Amino acid sequence: MNRRGTSLAGRVAIVTGAGQGVGEGIARRLAEHGATVIVAARRAETGEPVAASIRGDGGSATCVETDVTKGESIAACVTHTVAEFGRLDIVVHNAFTGAIPHRLENAVLDKHWKGMSLTAGWASLQCAREAHLHLAASSRRPRGEGGGRYVLITSPSGVEGSANIPLYSPAKAAQRAIAKSLAREWGPDGITVNCIAPVAASPSLITAFDRNPALQQAIEARTPLGRVGDITDDIGSVALFLAGDDSSYVTGQTIVCDGGSFLGL
Amino acid sequence: MTSIVVGEGRLAEALRARVTAEMPARVIVPPLVIEPMRVVDLTDDDIDRMWEQPMRTLISELQRAHGDGCRRIVVVVPTIGQSGGAEYAAVSATAEAARVLVKSAARQWGEVDVTVNAVAVAPEVFGIDTAITGPISIAPRALAGEVDPSDTISFLCSAAAGHVTGQTIVCDGGLWM
Repeated sequence: MNRRGTSLAGRVAIVTGAGQGVGEGIARRLAEHGATVIVAARRAETGEPVAASIRGDGGSATCVETDVTKGESIAACVTHTVAEFGRLDIVVHNAFTGAIPHRLENAVLDKHWKGMSLTAGWASLQCAREAHLHLAASSRRPRGEGGGRYVLITSPSGVEGSANIPLYSPAKAAQRAIAKSLAREWGPDGITVNCIAPVAASPSLITAFDRNPALQQAIEARTPLGRVGDITDDIGSVALFLAGDDSSYVTGQTIVCDGGSFLGL
Repeated sequence: MTSIVVGEGRLAEALRARVTAEMPARVIVPPLVIEPMRVVDLTDDDIDRMWEQPMRTLISELQRAHGDGCRRIVVVVPTIGQSGGAEYAAVSATAEAARVLVKSAARQWGEVDVTVNAVAVAPEVFGIDTAITGPISIAPRALAGEVDPSDTISFLCSAAAGHVTGQTIVCDGGLWM
């Protein structure tokens, strides 16, 4: 751990969907910089190995089974975190499920919309509702010792729409609007709220590449930096910036972290 | 004759009286639930009313418009989706989701020559209180006078707009840019 740069020593962070992919990368990067990380995963089978691996690397992490499709589960995670560690400074809501390719005209709401709506729209608001009190308390600490941060993981598709998964885009667009609204609402409390729109080598994308190597070539070809992002070094580092003191005057923004593929903001 | 405008409230009524279309068209005013509320006060029932149900209605209306053979589809939203607004997090989420759903629909339905666009109007048009949201723009509105979006919507429902799709035309007198 002992990495140079931003220190999150003493801070406590919840990362939802941290049992794999982008959430795991973010959890690892925050822990590397001193944060105590709650690996909020739907299943302990995925979350506990990540937490154990972070601990094995010298970091502080614990897995709390959290189903973000249920408001009471989110509330329980926050309550557990504060009871166990005495504070909550950072929430990164990354968990997401339900992205199934479909035609819009044939979409069945309970099949093609519900999961994405629950994990993006509902959970983004519910995480905010449950965490606000503690994030505000963090922002009342002296600079360098705290600072409430709420980070939502959205997608470039939440800006430009999607021809493959049309209902994915509005679910992700909602998160940008929530970030802007909460940036206004929570600014007086000193809490910053921002989004990251990543393209990264998550397990689902790697699986897609294995099935269709041409997809990887196509993505790399359209990406100025010529590669797909790394979950820790590329995405986790942006999350670290938004979680730490260096971003204390940045709020309501979306950082697109996709190697320059999307330039439409 | 059935109106091409779907939706309730004063905005929908005004558009029903003024919007014209040269071809099969549908103008959708989503049923946004306009109630200022801090996020810490949102109950799950509030989220359902302000986010889930309006989105489900909008998706269904878009599907209905496609099924009815409409060649031009326009969704009217408030600019609060783009700007955000204090105490309107759920409403702004729904507005922005609606605006971006338009882009997805445009991408899929372009292959059958259907255009789908959004017209964004000032938040007050939907009854949103900008004394609560915070300023929509750092600059004052560029144009004075009453803003009527019906001509812009009529244009998007015309043959002349056949290569305009997936776009948002902000029709608020030059406030949000």
